[in-house]
Amino acid sequence: MRKSKLYKLLTGTILATMLLAACNSEDAGSKTDKGSGEKEASDIEVVFIPKMTGNAFFESGNNGAQAMAEKVGFKVKYDGAPEGTVANQVQIINSAVNSGADAIAISSVSFDGLNQALQKALDAGIKVVTWDSDVDPKYRSAYINQGTPEILGKMLVDMAAGQLENPDDAQQVAWFYSSPTVPDQNSWVEYAEKYIAEKYPKWELVTKQYGEGNEQVSLQVGESILDTYPDIDVIICPDSTALPAMAQAAQNKGLDKDDVIITGFASPNSMRQYIEKGTIENHGLWDVTDQGALAVYIAYHLAQGNDLKVGDSVDVPELGKVTVEPNTIQGYDYEAEDSGIIVLPERIVFTKENTSDYDF
Amino acid sequence: MLKKIPKWNLVLLVTLISEIVIFGLINPRFWNMNVLLNSFNDFIGIAIIAFFVTFVIITGGIDISGGSIIGLTSVVAGISSQVMGLNIWLAVVLAIVVGGLCGLLNGLFIAYAKVQAMVITLGGMLLYSGIALVLVGISGASTYEGISGFSQGFINLANGKLFGILPHSVVLFIVVFIIAYILLHRTRYGRYIYLTGINQNAAEYSGIDTRKIITSTYVLSGLSAGLAGVILTSYLGSARADFGGEYLMPILTAIVLGGTLITGGKGGVVGTALACIIVGFLKLGLQMGGVQTQYIGLAIGLLLIISVAFLGIPNFKSNVSRLLGMKKSRGGNLNA
Repeated sequence: MRKSKLYKLLTGTILATMLLAACNSEDAGSKTDKGSGEKEASDIEVVFIPKMTGNAFFESGNNGAQAMAEKVGFKVKYDGAPEGTVANQVQIINSAVNSGADAIAISSVSFDGLNQALQKALDAGIKVVTWDSDVDPKYRSAYINQGTPEILGKMLVDMAAGQLENPDDAQQVAWFYSSPTVPDQNSWVEYAEKYIAEKYPKWELVTKQYGEGNEQVSLQVGESILDTYPDIDVIICPDSTALPAMAQAAQNKGLDKDDVIITGFASPNSMRQYIEKGTIENHGLWDVTDQGALAVYIAYHLAQGNDLKVGDSVDVPELGKVTVEPNTIQGYDYEAEDSGIIVLPERIVFTKENTSDYDF
Repeated sequence: MLKKIPKWNLVLLVTLISEIVIFGLINPRFWNMNVLLNSFNDFIGIAIIAFFVTFVIITGGIDISGGSIIGLTSVVAGISSQVMGLNIWLAVVLAIVVGGLCGLLNGLFIAYAKVQAMVITLGGMLLYSGIALVLVGISGASTYEGISGFSQGFINLANGKLFGILPHSVVLFIVVFIIAYILLHRTRYGRYIYLTGINQNAAEYSGIDTRKIITSTYVLSGLSAGLAGVILTSYLGSARADFGGEYLMPILTAIVLGGTLITGGKGGVVGTALACIIVGFLKLGLQMGGVQTQYIGLAIGLLLIISVAFLGIPNFKSNVSRLLGMKKSRGGNLNA
């Protein structure tokens, strides 16, 4: 009997607390409708969301983001979960909305899985920017893009061609990246093939292999490419798992850059040993610290109440002037004035000379 | 001993209230009713499964395949409605039935073939997530992007609000909780579950078909995982094979923290429900207090270890007080 009384009492307390909370809610809710352009820098909080934590690429992005925040004076909260799943990212977006953040800058794990959560964030007046990996352009203002398929596809081919004595001669070329379904890498390769057909029509594409983003699978695939095509001249790997695995496979077989040209995209930390040993001559990537810095700056810029329309340009401290380009440069159909793409001003080709200047 | 469980629920209730008070003081936005109610969306899938895995654990078994059944049922709902063109609500029913069948498969092996529950559900976990991936492959959708384009009606299933205030996830939480509560605590079936867990042989001798009871708990757990898969698909607006992949530990956390003994025979869904809310609010509160998501597991781990130490180790409290008492008396001796 006494117990049930205690229960009633406690239930009563909970209800009372919740009622009180409900009374409070209006006050708390009002913080979400942001004024126009009147906010102090230090009042603005940007939540910077990686695909997952504990990955060197995203941690470097965060280093750039934090440095930018410190310089300009706004706040950046780095918030990600160790497992990069849709449900985790949705929860992080929700908590950003709940805790009253002003903007989020996210590298999405899914093109469409975050739609509902992002819509709620937009409804709450939060600015949404994507970086590294995009969402449906309807649900964000700007995508901080490492490069369009055109830029990156051309870069891949040029890095390989630059190493050939006679790039116009016939060459055997192989592609090796993560999977036939991954959207960004496929779009680069598609453009690169177009570019090869125009500029180096004698090149022959002998095979296209996939490593599924798995280190062990990639190493096996890399070795099988070398076994199956002993006369191969160029192997291009636009994937951060495939490229080191391919270089390792060549090293295991005692091959170096004079025997076969291997190039592609991966972070300098993962490739430095192969460059220094001469297994490969060069490889490329964008500066992800710059990308993180630019992403949070654009998010901050929007949160201040500034509009960002296609064609506008923004002066970003340290990085210079960037321009908002239409979504069509990435191949999207969706065109709206307030949704666009900002391409990173530059990408880097890493060689023996400069690889030690970068740490990411 | 039976007194211990309700007392534990009381401890949970006090924990919950102090969470609400403390986090509210740290960030007043935590007291926003909408924020609290909407946060149910983030743990509704865990809660629905945890209610019925509680049944399984009370019989002395364990079901760790719930998380991967979510992925499978999500994919089934997605493929049957978006690729094969089945009516979405039929697809929902189909998905839940598939969840139930997975549970049935687990249950039959465990109850009738007497294979250890951990082994079977571990196999089930790998099998179901494997099937989900194969189905996605066959359907032609990309594994990376999932299946989307659901109707607004289906999206509203999880995202809508009753009377514009109460999120559907809260309603669902309450409804499933009531069903589980009545089944476990108010029916003969529920009593049989406890009896089976306390001593399967004794229950068998007293005329209870324990194999049926055990199988049925796995079926319920599978059905609830199917429901969770549908809700998650609706909530995220996309069907993916990897949904629920990280739910295994949160589900077991909720049950253990809720006071159900992992050895069976003792526990209840009230504790599970409170524990789900406690963990959910803890996550929310810490995030709103500015803690990075990657460190929140640490707080939940601490909560779990401390609470299980209190609950699981017999005479823990008296041991602690004896320890303290010893120190005191030793101090006294030194002084003397």
